[in-house]
Amino acid sequence: MKYSMQIFRAAALVVAAGAVGACLPLLITSANVLSLMTQAVIYAIGTLGVGFLLRQNGHVSFGHAAYYGLSGYGIVLCSKFLGLTTGPAILLVISLTGLFAFVVGLVIVRTPGIAFAMITLAIGQVFYILMAKARGFTGGVDGLVVEMSEKIFGLSSNLFGKPGSMFVVCWLTLVLVVFLLSLLIRSRFGALTEAIRENEERARFIGYKTVVPRAAIYTVSAMVCALAGTLSSLYSAFVSPDSLHWSLSGSLLVASLLGGTSLLSGTVIGAAVYFLLKDVLSEVTTHWMSIIGVCLIAVIVFWPEGIAGGLSRGARKLRALAGRS
Amino acid sequence: MNEAYALEVENLTVRYGGVVAVNGVSLKLKRGEIRGLIGPNGAGKSTVIDAISGRRASTGKVLLDGREISSLNVVQRRWIGLSRSFQRTSIFPAMRVRDQIKVAAARIPDCDVDELLEEFGLVPFQDKVAAEIGYGDQRRLDLSLAFLGKPSVLLLDEPMAGLSSEESRRLADHLQNLTRNWGVSLLLVEHDMEIVFGISDVVTVLESGKLIAENKPDIVRADPHVRAAYLGSAA
Repeated sequence: MKYSMQIFRAAALVVAAGAVGACLPLLITSANVLSLMTQAVIYAIGTLGVGFLLRQNGHVSFGHAAYYGLSGYGIVLCSKFLGLTTGPAILLVISLTGLFAFVVGLVIVRTPGIAFAMITLAIGQVFYILMAKARGFTGGVDGLVVEMSEKIFGLSSNLFGKPGSMFVVCWLTLVLVVFLLSLLIRSRFGALTEAIRENEERARFIGYKTVVPRAAIYTVSAMVCALAGTLSSLYSAFVSPDSLHWSLSGSLLVASLLGGTSLLSGTVIGAAVYFLLKDVLSEVTTHWMSIIGVCLIAVIVFWPEGIAGGLSRGARKLRALAGRS
Repeated sequence: MNEAYALEVENLTVRYGGVVAVNGVSLKLKRGEIRGLIGPNGAGKSTVIDAISGRRASTGKVLLDGREISSLNVVQRRWIGLSRSFQRTSIFPAMRVRDQIKVAAARIPDCDVDELLEEFGLVPFQDKVAAEIGYGDQRRLDLSLAFLGKPSVLLLDEPMAGLSSEESRRLADHLQNLTRNWGVSLLLVEHDMEIVFGISDVVTVLESGKLIAENKPDIVRADPHVRAAYLGSAA
């Protein structure tokens, strides 16, 4: 399929998915269910960031919660010290996150495998401790209330606190992020980063510098996580050090592995499954994480490409069977 | 500096701690020439290729088309026309054959992906993931990546490794044709002596990191020093 045709198809899917999501709050009347769905969608955006990094760079990050959590603090501190309204503060925070992640990325993407994971863990925990200890600025472990201006990007700030309207905002953001990331993956740059992931030395010997593209992927993934963190802090109107803890990075990683990273939809499915399992199982037992652990092992053993990869393989087999008969 | 030479190496030395792996090797490769680089295991053949391509730190001078490239990194050397292959097949396993050639060709002006696929017999596999094609086809894909953009000099490190004798012969003929038609100069490290002596214009022999002979294949083959050091009954 030609590239232009692929874009057209993806754009059509985006419009359809956006429309379906926008209609859901009309069909679901329970505020609790809508709230759960809103949180799941925010979580899915964060998972996309971590999954995208794994897919394009082959890097496992245990530190992306730092970008998730810092964005909330950034919005509060920009309002407090720079006098910015919430909209410009969001733009500034996400841009600064990108800049910071790029500089960090230039250094850390050179490290392979487990060393990269450990460095990201260390960076994430540094910010977690910083936010927990700097009481004067951050409110310490008590966190901060996110005070919003009356309007954010022309929308009433009340919309961001109500489950129904916030679900639509988050859903449309998710659809847009998936669309933009899929364009990036299908672009020449996406193919190059895939090649670098596959064989970095060969990529250099066919004439490509490899550090900057890898740092750029790291940057994009950090910005996506910052976007998720922004939505989360707007929805709850609160931010605390918990949102920077490594366990959040770990759960985003588990969700992306559950869904599978070969397809972008996989990370979204993974996030939805993880969130649902967490909600249902935590009602039953405090040891819900061990059950999710068993599920993760089962998925990795039976469907190494994740739930989405397994479903896609199953669909291919069914199509082949239907073709034969 | 002589512009008749595509590659000039002067006094190339590579040290691994206290061990001198390559000791003051000098060689000149004419345009369109195929140069065989032979020697026993551990003679330093692959290290010479690593040093020329910038993969391994070295002292001495390396000139490509008369321009000194000793201080350039591997990426810069590739862009000005120095390419290489590796002992082990070095491709992008999870990518489709066509996609990886497209990526590699993206920044090369007037690079015809279809011509390259055709030239290396990759058309039947172009939509397959590289990991799923046969070893011989992967080897050809590897070579196509190295030949991309018709480099001035190509360093090939055991390109026939793992191929059957029939496949090796076909590949040797192909390499000979490509160097002629595309004007690429070739430095070839290979253990198959029949192939090396069959297609090389000049053969250079290394022993313990030192150059011990350099001449036309027939003369090198008859050189008693070379026979004693390496060729033995293979000659």
